Amino acid sequence: MSHHYISFENLSFSYPKGPEVLHDINLRITHGERVALLGLNGSGKSTLLLQTNGLLFPSSGRVVVGDVPVTRKTAPEVRRRVGMVFQNPDDMLFMPTVADDVAFGPRNMKLPEQEVTRRVNNALEAVGIPSLASSPSFMLSGGQRRAAAIATVLSMEPDILVLDEPSANLDMRACKALVKTLSEFNHTILLATHDLELARNLTPRAILLHEGRILADTSLDEAIGILSQLADSH
Amino acid sequence: MAKLEKALLALNEFGRSRKSDISPVAAVIVTLFYIVIVLTVPVSDPQRLVWMAVYPVMMAEYCGAGFVRIFIKSLWVLPFVILIGIFNPIFDHNPGIKIAEVSVSAGWISFVSIILRGLLSMQSLIILGYMAGFLDICSSLRRIHIPRILVTQLLLSYRYLSVLIEEALSMRRARQARGFGSDKLSLSLWAALVGQLLVRSADRASSIHRAMLARGFDGVLPLVDRGQSPDKNSILFAITVCVAVALLRWLPFDSWFGFLNF
Repeated sequence: MSHHYISFENLSFSYPKGPEVLHDINLRITHGERVALLGLNGSGKSTLLLQTNGLLFPSSGRVVVGDVPVTRKTAPEVRRRVGMVFQNPDDMLFMPTVADDVAFGPRNMKLPEQEVTRRVNNALEAVGIPSLASSPSFMLSGGQRRAAAIATVLSMEPDILVLDEPSANLDMRACKALVKTLSEFNHTILLATHDLELARNLTPRAILLHEGRILADTSLDEAIGILSQLADSH
Repeated sequence: MAKLEKALLALNEFGRSRKSDISPVAAVIVTLFYIVIVLTVPVSDPQRLVWMAVYPVMMAEYCGAGFVRIFIKSLWVLPFVILIGIFNPIFDHNPGIKIAEVSVSAGWISFVSIILRGLLSMQSLIILGYMAGFLDICSSLRRIHIPRILVTQLLLSYRYLSVLIEEALSMRRARQARGFGSDKLSLSLWAALVGQLLVRSADRASSIHRAMLARGFDGVLPLVDRGQSPDKNSILFAITVCVAVALLRWLPFDSWFGFLNF
């Protein structure tokens, strides 16, 4: 069985002492698919993404990555397979240099230093910032930070890439670079975004979340139409 | 540039490797040795601690930092040290020494000793920071088999310090943008800002922790072994300084220089 699929089975989730924010989610994303997760603010997109990586666990139901159900016990294994790019790149860059940040994941995987170096070079090359390897992250521009954040995940060579608002605060040039980088990723991509242009360039399929429920699982164009109606009705 | 921006830059600079002739491992060993030796000086013997100040003076000049600057920076530790020792003069009234017919209690002597110990230890740590960057220091600590968990604590404290400053900086900018030139803050506003700062930095810290977990963080930060084995010069340096520190500690200066005996 492929490592590269995610399935959400009857998943519901509520934060401690809070209301339920995801209700009975059933969804399957297969190998090599690129899927956009659309929805208005507060619809549960980020919360759903955090379930894929074992950073949050369902209140009921389950998430399966490849053939591994996501549990506290399997979370380290799942995190090797699912690379997660967070909304704020600053949260992902905490080491003194970009290269150290990109090496953080592979070193946690206890890879030999030679392999770590190879992966760091490849990841920086893939996002187009090999010259910034020794720069401190706080000196990078917004686009470069985003690229570095993606490189930190690519260096782990994940089977599945999960991205939360990857184009937030990026200008047009940086967005184009982002599309190019993501297009070259040959495995599964799950992308939560408000940037419909980015979604058009990358993902033929879209899941529309509304108030924690899947409202539509359809083609991107159709999902955008429904989303537009939703936005008008609110 | 505002103080907070400067602090952020200084913090980042502190993390970076230094181009010192001395290997970080040698610098760490010498510093730890010095601190241990300073702590072996009895609290009843502050004169000996005065002799121990030769080390920070010499090393500050050697690494080009300047002792005055190091001394001023070390004063930050003073409130904490005073807090530790302040009860000694209150509770210990035993006779200590006489200076020009004025009797000084043992409590006051131990209080002065504690302050000197604190300042000297702090100065040696600041000098270490000048000689080797913070990450090299942490890497060296691992090399000399200091427990991983302790080194991880140091690294995380360093990281969260920058988070705290970043959040303070963005709050300050937001306030300035709507402050119309006024820098004055009422006490109640200060309290609200500090509370907000703590909540915001805790929230950021939680996001960073999540991002670390997502990349396989298992409680121990992976440190690069930067391959800086001490070279011959560094080993020689470490041995020379350690011997010199030991001599400062145990040579009978008091009998040689009677004028230092109170």
